[in-house]
Order: sequence, then C-alpha cells, then structure tokens
Amino acid sequence: MDAETTMSPAARMAREALATCAASPGVAKPDPILVADSVRRKFGGITAVDVDHLEVQRGSITALIGPNGAGKTTLFNLLTGFDSVDEGRWSFDGRSMGRAAPHRMAKLGMVRTFQLTKSLTKLSVIENMRLGATEQIGEKWWNGLIDARWRKQEAAITERAEELLERFKLSHMRDEYAGALSGGQRKLLEMARALMTNPILVMLDEPMAGVNPALKQSLNEHIRGLRDEGMTVLFVEHDMDMVHDISDWVVVMAEGRVIAEGTPDAISSNPAVIDAYLGAHQGRSLLEDQP
Amino acid sequence: MAECRRRWPVRMFLGLGVLLVAAGMTSSAVSAEDIAIRVQVKEQNRDESGKVDNQPVVGVEIVITDASGTEVGRGVTAEDGVVVVPVPGRADYTVELLEDSLPDGQSLSPQSPPVQSIAEDSFVTATKTLNFFTGESQRVTDTAFERVAQRFSDGFRLGLVLAMCAVGLSLIFGTTGLTNFAHGEMVTFGGLAAFVFNITGLTFLGFLDFLPGVYPDGRFHVIWATILAAVFGGLFGWALNAGIFLKLRRRGIGLVTQMVLTVGLSILLKNFFLSRFGGRTRPFREYSLQKALDIGPISITPRDLTVSIISIFILVAVALTLRYTRLGKATRAVSDNPDLASATGIDSERVIRLVWIAGGALAALGGVFRGLDEQVSFEMGGRLLFLMFAAITLGGLGSAFGALIGGIVVGVLVEMASLVVPTELKTTPALAILILVLLFRPQGLLGKAQRVG
Amino acid sequence: MDWSLIFELSLKGLIGINAVYFAIAAIGLNVQFGYTGLLNFGQAGFMACGAYGLGMTAHYFEISFWWGIPLGILFSLLLGLLMGIPTLRLRADYLAIVTIAAAEIIRLVVRSVRFKHYFGGSDGINRFAQPFREVGADFGIDQTQLYGFGPFTFTGRELWTMIVGWSLVALIGYLVYKLMKSPWGRVLKAIREDEDAVRSLGKNVYSYKMQSLLLGGVIGTISGMIFALDRGSVQPDNYSRDVTFYILTALVLGGVAKVSGSIIGPMLFWLIFTFLDNFLRQVADKPIKIGNFTIMQSTQVGQVNFMLVGLTLILLMVYRPQGIFGNRQEMAFDGR
Repeated sequence: MDAETTMSPAARMAREALATCAASPGVAKPDPILVADSVRRKFGGITAVDVDHLEVQRGSITALIGPNGAGKTTLFNLLTGFDSVDEGRWSFDGRSMGRAAPHRMAKLGMVRTFQLTKSLTKLSVIENMRLGATEQIGEKWWNGLIDARWRKQEAAITERAEELLERFKLSHMRDEYAGALSGGQRKLLEMARALMTNPILVMLDEPMAGVNPALKQSLNEHIRGLRDEGMTVLFVEHDMDMVHDISDWVVVMAEGRVIAEGTPDAISSNPAVIDAYLGAHQGRSLLEDQP
Repeated sequence: MAECRRRWPVRMFLGLGVLLVAAGMTSSAVSAEDIAIRVQVKEQNRDESGKVDNQPVVGVEIVITDASGTEVGRGVTAEDGVVVVPVPGRADYTVELLEDSLPDGQSLSPQSPPVQSIAEDSFVTATKTLNFFTGESQRVTDTAFERVAQRFSDGFRLGLVLAMCAVGLSLIFGTTGLTNFAHGEMVTFGGLAAFVFNITGLTFLGFLDFLPGVYPDGRFHVIWATILAAVFGGLFGWALNAGIFLKLRRRGIGLVTQMVLTVGLSILLKNFFLSRFGGRTRPFREYSLQKALDIGPISITPRDLTVSIISIFILVAVALTLRYTRLGKATRAVSDNPDLASATGIDSERVIRLVWIAGGALAALGGVFRGLDEQVSFEMGGRLLFLMFAAITLGGLGSAFGALIGGIVVGVLVEMASLVVPTELKTTPALAILILVLLFRPQGLLGKAQRVG
Repeated sequence: MDWSLIFELSLKGLIGINAVYFAIAAIGLNVQFGYTGLLNFGQAGFMACGAYGLGMTAHYFEISFWWGIPLGILFSLLLGLLMGIPTLRLRADYLAIVTIAAAEIIRLVVRSVRFKHYFGGSDGINRFAQPFREVGADFGIDQTQLYGFGPFTFTGRELWTMIVGWSLVALIGYLVYKLMKSPWGRVLKAIREDEDAVRSLGKNVYSYKMQSLLLGGVIGTISGMIFALDRGSVQPDNYSRDVTFYILTALVLGGVAKVSGSIIGPMLFWLIFTFLDNFLRQVADKPIKIGNFTIMQSTQVGQVNFMLVGLTLILLMVYRPQGIFGNRQEMAFDGR
C-alpha cells in the first residue's frame, strides 16, 4: 500500500518532524507532548517498568509494542495515573507530573481506553457518551436537583455526543444498553466516549484486540482521524500490520525497558527488536516445557 | 447446564440437612427468653505455697430481688457451688448472699460484698453469671504486672481461637474473592454441634457405648464431641460450597451478589440456632469448672492450658501444610493469582473445595474451643465475626499466615484493652486496627503490595 | 384461626410506621448500594445517629428538641467520614467490613455503662418526643383518639408520625429520583459498574463515592429519627447489625436501583412479615410435632420468621437479584 499518496497534511507534518530523529532509544523529539524520565515500577521483586527517557511527539501516532510482559500496559497505567511510580517523573504538555490521580490526568487532556473494554453495559449508549463530557454543571449534586441549571448544557452535550456517534457509526444504537453492542462496537463506543473529554492525547490500550477484521479498517481510519484533528495518539498494539499501517513512530519495549525507537520501517528491520521478540518466545517455550 | 440448574436447590437443602441432623436435635426448643441468674460461690483460700484453690462452696443461700425490692427468686448452691435462679426477664436485680448460710469458718472475702446488683444491660446473653468469693481473694495480691500478664494470656487464648477461625475466612476470600459474612455462624455451628454430641446426646448412637467416652444414652465425652464437631464443620463447609457457592460460580454470579447471599445465610443460620438452642449460654459437661493453676503470674485452668497447646499444634500444622505440602502450595498459588494458578494446571475448584472443608472444620474447632472457655451460645460466632475481619485485614486479606498472626494480635490487643477501657468496650480497638490498617497499609501486614481499587 | 385479625394486622403492616422507617432507610441504602455499589452494612449505625441526636438534646445537652435534627445529621456525617475515608479508595469489601464493625461499636458505646451519662446506657433515652407530638396536636390530631377505618385504624400519635413519615418518604424519594436522573446520578451509576472507566473520564470517583455514602447515611439518619419519634425513645438494641440486614432484604425484595423499589420493598416486607408472624403464632398455638421432634412452638415463631427473611434473601440473590420489580438489564449492583 502506498501511504504517501493518501497521506493527510497532519500525517505529513508528523512524519517530517520525526524524520529528523535518530532511531535510538530515548531520542529527543522536536515537540514532545509527553516526556518520561527514569520512570520505574516494581512488583514484588520484578521490575515491570524501567524507562530511562522517552518522548512522544505532539500530533503524531506513536505505537508502543513489545512482547508479553514487556511493561507496556504498566507504563500506560503509570502515565495515566492508574498506578504510581516507585521513582522517576514525567511531564505532560509542559506540566510536571508527580503522583497525579487518574481523574486529574483526564482533566488535563490525557484520556485512555482499556485493554478489556470498559463500556458501562447497564447504561445506554448515549448515556455512556454524555458521561464523557467534562465540566458538567449537573455533576454537582446541588445542581443536579435543579433541572434548569443543567438542562441546557445537557442538550449541548447530547448534540455533540450524537455527532460523535454518527461519526463512529453508532447512531442506530443510541438508546440501546451498551451491553447490547458487539465487541468491536464497544471499542468504538469507548473511543468515542473518550473523545467527549476533548483530549489532546489519546492513549489506546490494544484497540484492535477482539475486533473483527471488517471493523479493523474503520478503526484504523478513526485513529488516523484523531491525529488529523490535531490530537496525539499513543497506542499499545500486537497487530504488527496495523502498527506498520498507521503509526508515525514506533517504540519497542522489552522487560520493562525501551529497547528501540524509530519509524515503522526502521523498526521492522531492527535486529534488537527481532531479537527481543524471538528471545521472549524462546523464554516462553522453555517455561512451557517445564513439568 | 439446565439439568445442573434444576438439581442444585435440592443439593443446597441436602447440604443444609447436615446442619439439621447435627443442630436440629438439640434440646427441643428452649424458650429464647429463659432469663436466669447464675451464681457461683468459690472459696479462695490460699494454700501453703500461695496457690488459690477455687473450691466450690455448697449450701449457700441466695436471694434475688427486683428493682422494687420484691423477691423474685431464691436458691441454694449445689455440689459445684453453683445455683441458677430463673428470673422474669432482663431487668435490674439485686443479688444477696445470706452470710449466715455460709459453712462454718468461712466468710466472704473483703473484695466480695454480700449484696451485688445486676444492671439490665449486663444480661449479654440470657444467663448472667455472678461470683462470690470466700476467703482471701487472689485479686488482692495482683500486681500491675500480674494483671498485664493475665490479660495477655487471656488475649493470647482468644487470639488462638480467632486465628483458627480466621484462616478459613481469609483463604476463602483468597481463593474465591468472597467475603463470607456467615463465617461467624460456621463458628457457632461447631460449638453447637459439640454441644449436641456432648450434652443432648444422639440416642441412636447409644450402641457405640463400647467405646471409651461414649455413653449408652448417645452422649459423647467432650473430646469425642470436639472431634465430631470438627468433622461436621468440615462437612458443613463442603456442603455450603457444593450446595451454593460452586453453583453460583459456575453460573458466573458476581461476588457482590454472593456476599449479600452470605448475609442471608447468616440471618437464616443465626435464627435457626436461636430457635433450636435458645438464648442461653451453656457449658459443656466435662471440664466446665476447674481449679486454676498458677504459672508464674498467670492463672490458667488445666482445660484452657490444654486447649491452648492443642490450638498451637493445630495452627502450626496448618502453617506447615500451607508452606510445605503440594496442596498447601497450590492453595497459596490460587490465593495469590487464580488465573495464573489455573494456567499452570492447578485444579482451582479442587483447592477451593478443600479450603471450604478445612475452613469449616477449623471454624468449628474454634467454636468448640471458644465454647470450652466461654460456654456455648447461639451468637458466639457472630460476636467474633468483626474481630475475625479485623484479624484478616491486619494480616492481609487472602493471606493464611496473615490471618494467623492477625488473629493473635487482635486477640491480645482486645483483652489488653480491657486494662484501660471498660470491659464492655474492649472490642473497640479492633475497629481502630481496621481503620488504621486500611489508612496506612491497606494490603495488611503480609499482603502483597498491590494497587487496591 | 382468626383470619380477619391476621389480615387486618398485615394490612396495617403494609403502611405502618415500620414500613415508613424501613422505606426511608432503604432509600438511603439504595443510594449507596443500589446506585453506587457501595456495601454499607452499617445503616443501623446511621439510624442510631439520628435517634441519639434527638434523644441527647433532652438527656445530655439540655437544649431544644429541634436541635436534634441538625445534631443527628452532624453525627451521621462524621460517621460517614470515619467509615469512608479509610475504605472508599479500596475494593468494595472493605467498606462492608468497616461499616459492620463501626455500627457494632456504636451500639456498644451507646449501651455502655461508662457513657450512660451521654446515651442513657441500655435503657436508652425516653420521653423526648413531646415537642414533636405537640406539633401534631397543633394540627388538631388528638394523641389518644383513634382515627381511620377498618383495618387502617391508628391512634392519633401513630397517625401523626405516619403522616410526617410518609411525607418524608415522598419528599426524599422524589429528591433521590431527581438526583438519579441528573448527571450526578449518572456518574454514580457508572461508578457502580466500573470505577476505572469513570476515573479515566476525569471524574473524581472517591469524592462521588463519599457524597453517595454521606447522602445515603443522612437519609438513614432521618429514618432513625422517625423510628425514635414513633417510640418516643431510643434503645441501643434497636440498632443492631440485624436491622441493617433486614432493611437490605426489604430493599432487594423491592428491587435495587429504583426509588419505587426501595419504597415498595419495605411495604411488602412488613406486609409479609406481619402476616407470617401472626399466622405462625396462631398455627403454633400448640407445639407442632413429628413424633417426639418439635418442629415449632409459639416461642420460636419470631425466629422462624427471621429464618424466612434470611431464606428470602438467599433465594432472591440466586434467582432474582434485581428484586421483584427490578429490571434485570438495568439492575446492577454487580456490574462485573
């Protein structure tokens, strides 16, 4: 597939900016939105994450890949405040972060999705969407009692939610319980709901897991769309085709460390990456042979 | 699946049948409101070595009057120095020991006034016990150190019982994620089951009287009763798992639903016990009144000493089993991480079944031991429930070793607290422990440091 | 068998004061448990806050009775903070454990001899409801006269408490209904299902859980006040763990996460409970035996009835966790 011919201006900008970066772990980016320094997290005796330096370029789609247990999801949890670091610090959009709570990160414009989709199945699709909106007047209980205070804002929120549902082709399910959606539709709903927060950085944890091939293509389009609207996307993925297809930059983790970075093409021929994957596989098969 | 669904309520009731057999035959229907005052008169003269002998004093007359001064009952102490006088209900009473009726040469000790009053709220159970002492009371000579040592020893005994009861609670949580609010009733079950074997007797088992300690009327010596209670406790645990919780897990019923179900189970069992056993507190036949031994600063009856030693043996055995046997390791593995454990080929359902059986047996045993110490009542286990929760929270939810340590710490703290707070409030430190642990170390002493919630 | 008496008493149970205070407590529990998924097993503790708040005005503080209302609410807010601060960041079980423990300790403290000066010990506090009843008299309700028709005949004292009580049920029910339809309620329902999802959307879950716990607790406190006003007294043993469990059963019976369920549930609970109580009492007039084995005699009726409560809760959890009127698709105190 010839990416060059279909490339959007945003994509071109991102790729051009990143073309100047050397393909080495911890390399500095021209305009980083997220910078992590010496971030470490241990569970028991095992070091799950040990990242010396990592930058994510603003306005790009960055993929985070690596074998199972490489610490990708843990890093996600650390950066989004769902877990706290043992040591290290990071900054987001110029703000230095210590032990920020998840809801604070979300308010600052960093929104995430989950590996196992967390659509709220007992709420309707539209309620799921409305929930995503921030700064809601009616979410204060004393305002909640008085309809007049929040009805107007609610109408605006609903309108925006409906636009997003339209874009994600979920309009027909508007009033269904989210539990009635298929796995792929739930992924879409979760992504759409995340957009309700008006994020500047969208972090997707395995967006393709459990999604049927027909839907994968449109999910790809949606992710590209986010970047084209000026958002930054960081995603964890195992599907290498997809990674190669849509990402502007790839970060490879193994055993908690960043072992390689680079453009998709550079990464797929990087011996360290091949080694990490092979090594992991060898390690696993050894384990499995044990009685 | 459909078939399983149809059959399982039947099984559930079969499971509860185990309970009916054991507890349903208790002295048929004692009124829940048989309120009585139990008076013990003990002689506390010291012998040459300075030891106190708690000899019963026989033939002492007791008169009980109510708040208006009307006499509501009187009685004379029997061979064991005890007289139980029924009273009309929970109210304020005055109990007077007629000093003229004391045997020649005996008089009440200075610390034991001839008239004692009972407040309505001191009827914690239906029977209120009062003590009168003749001779020189041992309490006179208690030093602060002795009091602390004595409380510590009492607390350690309570702690052993708590540890024994809490291991099952913690392991059930660890392996299935379920917080069992009916665990207190599993403890009561043990105490009552032993009572049934020991006091009520099962006539149809009378043919076993060729065995030492089994009587022709189908009663069993308390040692037999203890063993049988543990066996039935294990069966009860098995029945609860097989009859209810296994089915719920298979049907994918959530943990909160299961937890609320255990609340229903607790209500059901507690009221069942109350209806069959009545509201009274009652002792076992053997070893109920013993002379205390003085060991250093501590005075302890041979019964409590023996029970403590047996408890320690059992707890050590439990710890060693968990630590070194295949089964124990499997249990801890499931408790640590059920998904991982089943991925490594451990049959987690088998482990869970075992945990319920062992947990049920240990809880029952804890109930018997508590009953030996404090007598048996329908809510003896329910009263321990929140101490058990404090114990496993302190030790770390899901950790068996944590439950052992937590149980002993909570037991000691609660008894020691009675040195500084009124006895009626001695359990308050358990709440303080709960809150402090959750604030500063929510994973408990031995729990894994993990993100909770 | 006196069926007319049984039915008369049962119908009284349906709308009687027990149903009122259960309904208010159940609405509160529903906010916490039904809508937010918080396992408050100490609702009796919150009720005690209200009852003692009223009682202590006369017994200890010697201030106007009406100060008891803010005082009780203050107590319950403090209790809610004590329970919530250590537990609401942790998994749900911990709240259940701490609430059960805290409610038990409250009961021990208020019945203790040591604090008798404040709380009146095991006798509790008596005869403080006069100012409340005087208001009833001002409305022309004679305390001793009988009002009503057929089975629904009540003394003026009962009637006045019931009028106030049912008005409160309606008012609180309406407010909670409004709140749960608002964005605030939406956040609570979402938390019940998946806290992490809500966190990731920028909501402070801890704060919402605390609000829910406190709101439900304050409603429970009001329930305790109504109960105490009806009796004109507070007794510590009316606030035992079992009371919370019975209210929970009544709530689940009607259906969680629905305001109507938390009102209909307690009414049904007391209808059935009163019916069974009177029915069994008449049945067990003479001991029922099979051979030598006594199945039930009159002194056991209470316990058999409570056993049926326990059994009902078990069966509801197995077969109809959404309650009789709940909607399975919407019901979800167990989101996962």
